[in-house]
Amino acid sequence: MWLLRWRWFWPLLGILIFAIVPVFFPAHHITILTELLIFGLFAMSLDILLGYTGMISFGHAAYFGVGAYASAIMLLQFNLPLPLAVLAGALAGAIIAFPVGYLSTRATGVYFAMLTLAFAQMIYAIVFKWYKVTGGSDGIVGVPRSELWFHFVNLGSGKAFYYFVFVVVALSIFVFVRILRSPFGKTLQAIRENEKKVESLGINTRKFKVVAFIIAAFFGGISGALFAPFDGFASPELLFWAYSGSCLIMLVIGGVGTIMGAYAGATVFILLEEVISSYTKDYLLIVGIIFILVVLLLPGGVVGFGMNLVKRKE
Amino acid sequence: MLTDITIQVLNALALSSILLLCSIGLTMIFGIMGVINFAHGSFYMLGAYVGFSIIKMSGSYWLALIISPLLVGLVGAFLELTTLRFIYLRSHFYQLLLTFGFLLALDALAQTIWGTDFKEVPVPDLLKGSVHILGTMYPIYRLFMLGLTAGVTIGLVVCLQKTKIGISIRAVSQDSEMAAGIGINVNMVRTLVFGAGCALAALGGVVIAPIVSGSLGMGVAILIQAFVVVVIGGLGSILGSVVGSLIVGTSQSYGTYLFPEGAMVFMYAMMAFILIFRTRGLFGEEE
Repeated sequence: MWLLRWRWFWPLLGILIFAIVPVFFPAHHITILTELLIFGLFAMSLDILLGYTGMISFGHAAYFGVGAYASAIMLLQFNLPLPLAVLAGALAGAIIAFPVGYLSTRATGVYFAMLTLAFAQMIYAIVFKWYKVTGGSDGIVGVPRSELWFHFVNLGSGKAFYYFVFVVVALSIFVFVRILRSPFGKTLQAIRENEKKVESLGINTRKFKVVAFIIAAFFGGISGALFAPFDGFASPELLFWAYSGSCLIMLVIGGVGTIMGAYAGATVFILLEEVISSYTKDYLLIVGIIFILVVLLLPGGVVGFGMNLVKRKE
Repeated sequence: MLTDITIQVLNALALSSILLLCSIGLTMIFGIMGVINFAHGSFYMLGAYVGFSIIKMSGSYWLALIISPLLVGLVGAFLELTTLRFIYLRSHFYQLLLTFGFLLALDALAQTIWGTDFKEVPVPDLLKGSVHILGTMYPIYRLFMLGLTAGVTIGLVVCLQKTKIGISIRAVSQDSEMAAGIGINVNMVRTLVFGAGCALAALGGVVIAPIVSGSLGMGVAILIQAFVVVVIGGLGSILGSVVGSLIVGTSQSYGTYLFPEGAMVFMYAMMAFILIFRTRGLFGEEE
C-alpha cells in the first residue's frame, strides 16, 4: 500500500478526523474533545524535556498555570482577541521559565528533578499570595472566549472554540516536529543519549537544555492560555503539583518521546476520568496505580507498545 | 528582647528537628540507591494519619509514636520489595517516575481512607504545659521534639559507625558491587534502608501531629522543604542534612517572625545562592 507509506498520510488522516468529527458529535462530546486537545498539547510540551532531552521536570504545571493567568488577564481586563491572549500566555510561560531553567540546569539528574518541583511550588505560592493581580485563592473568574480578531468571528460557541483550539494544536504539533528534526532538536536527542559525549564535541549542552526548558514552557503556556477561556476561569490549582502530576501521567501512559503519545495519554486519562468517576470517588488512586504499572511494565507507554508490535510483525 | 531571642532560637530548633527527621531518610535512600524518593513526604503524612488512628483507637500517644513509624516503614519496605527492586538496572528516569507514582497513589489512598478534613492530635498529658528556660516560658512538647530528634540522629550515626549492619550499609553506599562481592546481601540492605528512611519520615509525622493538624497537603509541603535542605546540605551526607535542616529551620522561623510574607522566598533565595556557587551543596560529594 503506497498510501500507508506516504509520509503525510497519517497527519492528514488525523487532521481530517478531528476536523469532521464535531459535525456529528453532541455538544458534551465536543467539550471533551476540546479538553483532550488542550491536555494533549500540555503533555506534548513536557515531552521535549522528558522524551527528547532526557530531563525530568516535575513542575511543568507552573507554566501551564502562568499561561492560563496571562491569557485570563488579557481576555478579561484588556478585552484582547483570543490569538493575542494565547500568544501572551506562551510568552509568559517562556519568560518565567528562563530564570527557573537557568538555575535548575546548573544541576543535573535527580537534583534537576527536585529543583523543578521546588521552583514550581514557589511560583504556585507566589500566585496564591499575589492577590492584587491573581485574585489569590479565588483565581480569576468569568474568563470570556473572546473573538478571533477585534469584533470579528465570535468564538463563544463550543464548536467555534473547538476549531480554534484544533488549529492552534495542529500548528503547535507542526512547529514541534520541525524543532525536533532541526539540528537543534537532534542535538537535544544527542544530549539525551550521552551528554558527556556531546560536551566533548565542544557543545555547551547547558545552553541547549535551558532553551529546551524555555520551549517546553512556551508550549505549556499555550495550552494553559487555551485552558483558561475553555474552563472560564484561572485558579492557583492550575499551578499546583497535582497538575504537573497529571501531565506526567498522560505523557507516560501515552508514551514518552513519541509526540502522539501525549495525545493518546490525554485520551486515556480523560476517558478514565469519565468512566471511573461515574463508579467511584477513588479515581486518583486507580490512575496512580495504573501509572505505577505502566512505569514498571510498559516503559514505552501505549504508543511505544503499539509501535513495538508493528515492528515485530514486519 | 532576650526572651524573644530565646523563643526564636527554640522555635528554629524545633522546626529544624522535623526537617532533619524527613531529610535524613531522603539522603540515606539516595546514598544507597541513587534514588530520590518523591513519596517521602507522603510517608511523613501517613505517619501522622496512622498515628491519629492509633491514638483514636488506643488513646495512647506513646503507642502511636512507636507503632506508626513501624507500620509505615513496613509499607515502604513492601513497596521497595515489590516494585523499585525490579528497575534498579534501568535509568534513573524510571526510578524517579516510580517514586512519583507512589506519591500520587499514597496521597489518593490517604484521601480515600481518612477523608479531607484536618486530623487533630492532642499533646500527651505527660508533655503538657511549659517550663522556665532562660527567663521565658516554653512548651515542654517542643523541647521533647528536640530531644527525640537529637537522640534518634545520634543513635542512627552510632548505628552506622559501630554495628555490623551499619557497616554493611556504608559499604553498599560506597560500592554496591564490591559489597555484594564480599558477601553483603545488597538487596536486603536496600529494602532495610528504604523502610527505615520511610519510618523516620513517619516518626516526623507523628511528632508534628500535635502541633500542626494532619492534612493532605502536609506531605508535599515537607517534601519541598526537605529538598531545599538536601540541596543546601548536599545529597548523601547525614552531616549535610543536619546543617541544611538548621539553616532552613532557622531562616524559616526567623523569616516568619521578621517579615511574614517573605519567609518562603528567603528559603528559595538561599537555595538559588547555593546552586550558583556550590552546585553539589555544602557537604555533597563530587559527581
